[in-house]
Amino acid sequence: MVESGILPRMRGYWLMAADALMVTAVNKTYGDKHVVKDISFRAQAGEILGFLGPNGAGKTTTIRMIMGITAPDSGKIVFQTGGRQLAGVPKELVGYLPEERGLYKDACVMHILQFLAGLKNVSRQEAASRARRWLAKFSLADYANAKVEQLSKGMAQKVQFIAAVLHQPRFIVLDEPFAGLDPVSQDLFKAEIKRLAADGAVVLLSSHQMNIVEELCDRIFLINHGQEVVSGRLGEIRERYGSYRVHVELGADADALVRLPAVAGAERLGSGRWVLYLQDYVKPEEFLRQVPSDVGLRELSITRPALHDIFVKIATGRYGG
Amino acid sequence: MKDIWKVAHWEFTRYITNKQFIIGLLITPLLMVAFGALPILLERWNKPQEVTYYIVDETGIMPLLTAGSPANLKLVQPQSKDRVEEEVREAEAAGYLVVDSEFLRTGQAALYLSGHTTEGRAYIQAVLSQFLQQGRMQESGLDWEQLNYVSAPAQVEVHTMADVEIPGRQEMVVSGVFVVLIYIIVFSSGTMLMQSAVQEKRDRMIEVVLSSISPQTLMQGKILGHFLLGVFQMAFWLVLAIPAAIFLLDFPVWEALGGVNLGLLALFGLCSYLLNAAMFVGLGATMDDIQNAGNAQGLVMMLPMLSFFFIAPVVSNPNGSVAVLASFFPFTSPVIMIIRSAMTQVPVWQVVLSVIVLLLAVLAISLAAAKVFRVGMLMYGKTASLAEIGKWLRYREE
Repeated sequence: MVESGILPRMRGYWLMAADALMVTAVNKTYGDKHVVKDISFRAQAGEILGFLGPNGAGKTTTIRMIMGITAPDSGKIVFQTGGRQLAGVPKELVGYLPEERGLYKDACVMHILQFLAGLKNVSRQEAASRARRWLAKFSLADYANAKVEQLSKGMAQKVQFIAAVLHQPRFIVLDEPFAGLDPVSQDLFKAEIKRLAADGAVVLLSSHQMNIVEELCDRIFLINHGQEVVSGRLGEIRERYGSYRVHVELGADADALVRLPAVAGAERLGSGRWVLYLQDYVKPEEFLRQVPSDVGLRELSITRPALHDIFVKIATGRYGG
Repeated sequence: MKDIWKVAHWEFTRYITNKQFIIGLLITPLLMVAFGALPILLERWNKPQEVTYYIVDETGIMPLLTAGSPANLKLVQPQSKDRVEEEVREAEAAGYLVVDSEFLRTGQAALYLSGHTTEGRAYIQAVLSQFLQQGRMQESGLDWEQLNYVSAPAQVEVHTMADVEIPGRQEMVVSGVFVVLIYIIVFSSGTMLMQSAVQEKRDRMIEVVLSSISPQTLMQGKILGHFLLGVFQMAFWLVLAIPAAIFLLDFPVWEALGGVNLGLLALFGLCSYLLNAAMFVGLGATMDDIQNAGNAQGLVMMLPMLSFFFIAPVVSNPNGSVAVLASFFPFTSPVIMIIRSAMTQVPVWQVVLSVIVLLLAVLAISLAAAKVFRVGMLMYGKTASLAEIGKWLRYREE
């Protein structure tokens, strides 16, 4: 379990009472394939935890275990809510947007939403009035009685999102919620996910869109080959795992810079413009100290590594777990 | 249990507004009427063909031939024996019969046809035989009275012994109708259940649903929902059929219903539905698309049809060894037991054993289907092989 920053120090009464999802030493094996190995993490009320990993890393299996769809071979998944710790899945309190998702093609939007909310013990009337509010928010008010066949892919995805949150869950698991959405709808979803977390829900977000994860998540938990590889606050992970990039524009040749001990590699972008990749663990100050005075610098910017690069490095095995 | 009802309600409302279901609901009675009435109507429309034969009679058979001839059979004597073929052609007759003067001795007559027809031939044959028989007996010196006495056919009167109860025609009709209803419900609900499971997968709803309820609850809800649809369907048809039977066919429905063991019929019907429903819904979970059913699935789908093959042997010998055997095999026993009890007094031990075996089979198939369902429903994009299904069945309950 990884908890960094202020959380461990603040572990007081209020924190114990707050909602949290605790996954402890969970394992799952299919035949002779060990799909999930000793996964442990904790997701806290009010935060959005990014649950990342390459395809086939074991994300969906882990999520299905959290949702109670499959059972772990060993380990514990505990939902802490209202000061109590529940071993089973509190179905009224969990909302799930799976990666493999759809809607009953022959049914109408409102009926589907009422049925799914009904399974979460929301009355038909209550579900209908909440559904109308959500549909209006997503500009789908006119489609309440439309058959699913009449919806575009983006519209259907909005309805699926509504179905996942209509019953006001305290624990929300969103698996690739942004896949296939246009930028406007993406922004709409981002805003709603942020609001749900701000209202005190535990949000687990799995996505391959690293820019969105960077924007939304407080912490990430990255797995590969069924195992934890990296976890913690985003800033700290960048610090720990990402090498910096330096964009430069030079009057002279870049050889002098490329040969510096702090530089791991370089790429020519255009006339006199280069991007330098610093060695892992090399701080910007260290690089600046090494820069010779005669390279004819016209422009220089140092950027922190993007989550995208860290992810690619880890997925391609340069940071194996 | 509440969740089972929610799923059942959802399935019921979704399918009852489904075009396919409504069409089936309305078309089936029409088809039944059509199939029932068609042979009668055809018979009525199909008036017997008028045929003419010319008879070249050299023995004096003509009076006997014309005496009892059917209305559509015209028998004429030719004007000239030598030109009989021309006369047949001119009159477009079916042919001509030559009964020569030696007939009583040779027993041979000749029928010349102008084309293909069998009309009237049996009648002519019978009269010729009779004529021959009587003529020959007369030759041996018997008089007319003696002749009749000698050639009178035997008559068998059928009686039932006092303490034996043979079900009447009405009870057989009720049981027959019940068997047909079982077949219709098993096949239509079975197919719909299979579709429903496949659709749940294809529409990618299964994971969302399983985050709220267990696969068993989903499966039971589906089975219950389609059972209610089946009951609705039957009720709809019976509401049409019972008045039709009473007022149009003059069939004493209530009296006939009183004559059968309705409880037993209902029990066998229900068990048959549950057995097949569990099997079909489990089967649906192993498929990606109904069109892509594999060999294993195809074989299993044949099981409910198995009882067809037993109907004929059981009807001809309702207490024979085939009938008894089929009464203890769960996929044939409901239909076979209903047919047998309509035709004969089935020993009580056989009824009890049949019900016990059937109930055990319902339990076993439901448990197996639940296992297959919980694994199969989460498998996308392919149809499971027999080996895979076998592996799922061996998974331990988590």
